[in-house]
Amino acid sequence: MTVTSSPPRDTDAHYKVWDVAGYADVPRETKARLFEQVKGDLRFGDYLYGCYECGICVGACPSAKFYDFSPRRIAQAAAREDVDLIYQQMQEDIWDCSQCFSCVRCPRGNNPGGIVTIMREVAVRNGLASAKEALVGYTRIIYKIMSTGTQVSPDMLSKDSFPDWGPETADVADNLDLWRRALPPETMHTTTTGWSVAESTLIELYLIWMETGALDMIAEVDPGLHTILLELMEERLEEAGFEV
Amino acid sequence: MTIPVEALRRAKAAEEPVADRRALDDPRAELLELERQGELIVQKIDREAISVMTKYGREKRIQKSHLWHHKSCGQCGHIPGYSTSIFWLMRKLGYDYHDPHDQTSCTGWNYYASATSNPAAQAAVAVRNFAAAYETGYFPLIHCGTSYGHYKDVREELIRHPELRAQVRAVMAKLGKPLVLPEEIVHYSEWVHALRHEIAAKRVRDVSGIVVSVHPACHYHKVVPGDAIYDPDIYGGQRTAVVTGLVEALGATVHDYSTWFDCCGFGFRHILVQRDFSRSFATLRKIEVMKEEANPDVVLTHDTGCVTTLDKSQFAAMAHGRNVGLPVMSDAQFAALALGAHPYRVCQLHWHSADYRPLLEKMGIDWEKAWAEFQSDLRRLESGEKRYLDWDDADGLNDDSGPH
Amino acid sequence: MSSDTVAVIGGGPGGLRAAQGIADIGHKVVLVEKQRYLGGSPITQKYYGLTPRGEPAQPQIQQQIDLVMANPLTEVRLGTEVVAVDGEAGAFTITLRTEAARDETFECGAIIIATGFSHFDPGRSTQMYGYFEFPDVITQPDLEAMLSEQRVLRPSNGEVPERICFIQCVGSRDRQIGNEYCSKVCCGVASKEATELREMLPDSKVLIFYIDMRMYGYWENEIYWPAQEKHHIQYVKGLITEVLPKGDRLLVRGEDTTMGRPMEVLMDLVVLSVGMEPSPGTRDLARLAGVRQNKYGFIDAPGTPLDPVSTDREGVFACGAALGPADIEDTVSSAAGAAMKAVGYLRSRAVAKAN
Repeated sequence: MTVTSSPPRDTDAHYKVWDVAGYADVPRETKARLFEQVKGDLRFGDYLYGCYECGICVGACPSAKFYDFSPRRIAQAAAREDVDLIYQQMQEDIWDCSQCFSCVRCPRGNNPGGIVTIMREVAVRNGLASAKEALVGYTRIIYKIMSTGTQVSPDMLSKDSFPDWGPETADVADNLDLWRRALPPETMHTTTTGWSVAESTLIELYLIWMETGALDMIAEVDPGLHTILLELMEERLEEAGFEV
Repeated sequence: MTIPVEALRRAKAAEEPVADRRALDDPRAELLELERQGELIVQKIDREAISVMTKYGREKRIQKSHLWHHKSCGQCGHIPGYSTSIFWLMRKLGYDYHDPHDQTSCTGWNYYASATSNPAAQAAVAVRNFAAAYETGYFPLIHCGTSYGHYKDVREELIRHPELRAQVRAVMAKLGKPLVLPEEIVHYSEWVHALRHEIAAKRVRDVSGIVVSVHPACHYHKVVPGDAIYDPDIYGGQRTAVVTGLVEALGATVHDYSTWFDCCGFGFRHILVQRDFSRSFATLRKIEVMKEEANPDVVLTHDTGCVTTLDKSQFAAMAHGRNVGLPVMSDAQFAALALGAHPYRVCQLHWHSADYRPLLEKMGIDWEKAWAEFQSDLRRLESGEKRYLDWDDADGLNDDSGPH
Repeated sequence: MSSDTVAVIGGGPGGLRAAQGIADIGHKVVLVEKQRYLGGSPITQKYYGLTPRGEPAQPQIQQQIDLVMANPLTEVRLGTEVVAVDGEAGAFTITLRTEAARDETFECGAIIIATGFSHFDPGRSTQMYGYFEFPDVITQPDLEAMLSEQRVLRPSNGEVPERICFIQCVGSRDRQIGNEYCSKVCCGVASKEATELREMLPDSKVLIFYIDMRMYGYWENEIYWPAQEKHHIQYVKGLITEVLPKGDRLLVRGEDTTMGRPMEVLMDLVVLSVGMEPSPGTRDLARLAGVRQNKYGFIDAPGTPLDPVSTDREGVFACGAALGPADIEDTVSSAAGAAMKAVGYLRSRAVAKAN
């Protein structure tokens, strides 16, 4: 929900004012609720102690070198419980993180990359605009990992998707079936998955997605994909004799 | 003159390392304690093992044989010579293994890219795979750096949070499986490192003229860093020893460069949907710096995403006339080549993008002949003579040219 | 048998001051020192100038040694280690060991532990600074020794360094290492050494990378301001993330947090401002004397702040860096306090006994 005037803030120095920000503002209660979800994650206490702004994390961070992204600001905003700034970061910053965890060098023991992981999860679960935007073009990849148990299968390296990877990638695509059959390990003759995953294994994986709420996480951010995966998994689980 | 230069060097050399209290952080001991309390099962190392030292001085044991290969999505999917070389090395050394169908991805790539999962799901996926290994009696060996790092994180979360253990145990119960974790979480490059002298003893190609630059994988040595392997003889014990230790054991030369600690730029989501970042980082911060400062013949690394990013990102940069053009492969592929493996049948270099042929020539490998051999293999597949190639084919036992 | 002798273990600035104090007010003191000479870290590590004022370390410490040696109530045992502490307050028996002779014992009524600190081992750092990899990465005490020789050179090639930086908080304020405390002196020592470098090498450029500059009291105006205003030392808020070679120089990388951007700078010489840890002697003495240590291994003073020198064991006192990070000024202050406490303890026992 968009409000028409800027909400009260403790201090304005750190924020973009709402009407020039690249996202719609929301009531402060909404921001507070989202932060409560971040803070409520069982890992939050493991990931944040305090921050004394030494910048070791920034010096190690690949994303800080190419984006206006700072793991120090992530840790600092979380430590201040500054819900306005945290909301801004959830809309603008978190998808820039490389999740390489170079920042866990922190002498205080913080894990800014881990805080980003949690913030992303909350952004996805709540269908934030940044999550929807970040996952544009990502639907088939989520579909692949959740439905087959392997990610980025050989047949996904199409010429159209990876033109910048050079002609060798096109050669792979052109010869895919033949080159896969030439691989000595018998598990790797597949083209639609990285290796051949047993049917019973997939059933177990589906049960995990359903039981842990991982599948439902995408309901807000990609309802269409959620429906497709839900139907697929329910059907296969029922066939296998599991009650869903 | 007492202090400058020589005296200081002597002082540094004479300094006795102080025991690091972080060596007492022992996830293995914590798992065994939880097992004693009936909280979970620990799969034990039950075959011959080699002891190595971790960053803070904890002993870590690497089982040599009877290993359950936890494959990698990216390796199997688009750099299959990576996985194949790991298997080939293990066969070459005569150690048995199991290549399971009952294995899923750790799903970490997706998780770090899209966050469309949660700690319970990620832990359950990990434990399901560990339980599958446990059922076979083979000890898990993790091919992917991200799987390795992610599983160490999962292990830490499971040790720390009883409520997470309870949740995962309940999910596992529905699958009819126990909550089980291995005694050590072992990356294949640790196995390679532990066995590097056995590997080097079987070297048939001279690599003494080869200059290597090493890229260490973030998820190997930065995630739960206390578990990564260090060695006082390699980088003075100040950086992880894996990959570099192997290169030195094989007799090649390692050249250092100033962005060694930097990430490759993979970024998980970036490599798929925001490649301008991955490409810029991989070329500007890694490949160009290596070229300029170290000028290696090959870049070796030990993780899925790093090989992909560093290899595939060079094409567009080259088109723009940048100073790139370095072959990229895994330590396992390089070791396999040094031990006489076929560059296409085993190392599958035709899946790589940056030009590896000058390296092969420098290693004394006739790549044109090798490619012709591989083409004749493919013709046998196309003609229907065989449906698939196998390990005998990979070792040239079924072609006219005889074994390599 | 009760004794009116005080044993002082450790012959550094703290032990020397404690021994002086005890003898000055008329008690016998036995000063035991493991090395074959007195003076402690300033002598062992070849300190150049003492913080804060930079007076030459060696003659300053020698004055203190002379004061101790001149007093007939003082017995100094060099090259000697304490290997056992038996008995109880008022009547301790201390067993000494030297290389040459058989173990021997002496009686004392009170003990002052003045066994000090060790510099943090920079190879054990969370930071990736390559102390054991790169010759041109040195520590503050390494630099002190070079300054004392009046030869500050790059260990890699013997050339005079042009660009020098200090990295603060190495081994201090670090949860991952387990040294969560501030080592107190490194900010002042770095600034003092930086000043000495600028005086010795006027063409050099010297930078200090820090989290906070902890220049309390007069250190602010005596060290910090002149360092900036007179010697043009550059202070950059932001710690270095890693050190790696680039050509024949070192590339240091971190964040300039004031400017809010990543930085990468070439250096000829990198000085690690290593913090303090309890010395092996402090750990040993705590164990032998049966006094409580804190989680970092320093000796605990349960009565602090108003009684910062009494340990949890009657008749056993401690001073200086055996109690935690301390500069020389704090060390001699607490040593004087410990001397008073020890003598006071013996006299109050004697009074009680007489009554």
